[in-house]
Amino acid sequence: MQLKNTLTRYGAIAQLFHWLMVVLIITQFVLALRAEGLSPIKKIGVLGTHKSIGITILVLALLRLTWRLFNPVPPQPSGTPRWQELAAHVSHFLLYALIFVTPVLGWLMSSARAFSVSWFGLVTLPDFIEPNKAAFERLRDWHEFMAWSLATIAVLHLAAALKHHFFDRDDVLRRMLPARDRGPQS
Amino acid sequence: MRIHQQLRYFLILVLVCGSVALAATKWTVQPKESKLTFVGIQQGAEFTGVFERFTADIQFDPQDLAGSRFDVKIETASAKTRDDDRDSTLLSDDFFAVKQYPTAHYVTDRFTAKGGNKFSATGKLTVRNVTRDVPIEFTFESKNGSAWLKGGAQLKRLDFGVGQGEWKDTEQVGNDVKINFVLLLKP
Repeated sequence: MQLKNTLTRYGAIAQLFHWLMVVLIITQFVLALRAEGLSPIKKIGVLGTHKSIGITILVLALLRLTWRLFNPVPPQPSGTPRWQELAAHVSHFLLYALIFVTPVLGWLMSSARAFSVSWFGLVTLPDFIEPNKAAFERLRDWHEFMAWSLATIAVLHLAAALKHHFFDRDDVLRRMLPARDRGPQS
Repeated sequence: MRIHQQLRYFLILVLVCGSVALAATKWTVQPKESKLTFVGIQQGAEFTGVFERFTADIQFDPQDLAGSRFDVKIETASAKTRDDDRDSTLLSDDFFAVKQYPTAHYVTDRFTAKGGNKFSATGKLTVRNVTRDVPIEFTFESKNGSAWLKGGAQLKRLDFGVGQGEWKDTEQVGNDVKINFVLLLKP
């Protein structure tokens, strides 16, 4: 499997970024939702992990976008209706935007509550805003809104991929999966 | 009888004058410029808190360390960390238990000159009725009659039972706590 994208497939690096992001984002939802009902100290622990993973997502998002800039993605299958092509572009753009915006809002919201963010206890991130309760509440609402928007678009994205795979029977999903030995790809 | 009484007055006078002369300068802490803060660790990141109310009885003279003494009383309920939830946890029975133990108390034992304007002191800190030796390090800079006393200490919260039950776990809330003080003193 090639590291870089080809005209027909995503390369290993792009796939790694993609699936790592899937796993991390799902983990984030599990942690954030689980934290709600926990005792204070367990909550601190779970949210600490949530923040560390969130910062990981932010860094991966930067690396991923950089990789993408130097490494064009495979084109849409020919004959894709114009609206679908547009919908794919818009949703990809939003997904990229949200994997930046959501962690940044989480980071700011933590600072607004006078909880500096530590990345797995190794690096403490700077606080870009002063502690402020009203700001914290606004940022928390935005962070949640962005997270649920991300989830919604990701589900649409998944539905579209499955539709391509099972209804259109094209390669759109398969090209984001590790290639089985199917002989030379054209 | 009269002579006896006069002698008694004289002795009292000698004692009073003598103790005034022996005691190191007694300073008044200027509350506006003075600050007592602490730094804790939560989720691996430091957070800073402040004790808004404390009194510090400071007798200090670099030339008379034996006669110097700090006596600091801290109102535990005045701890503020810029987050309401964290503050209420801190005041609760699991941490400072401010209802039973409204005051933390620090008294120095002896001072050591460390060269220049640096000093250290041994002393006893009482929090939640638990008394432990806590050394402090500080600098003393006097200027135009007033003086800045700046320094700090390191301690472990669990030595004083600050953090009960599940809060004894130090993975999320670190055991190490730094104390910092900046006091402006006037005679």
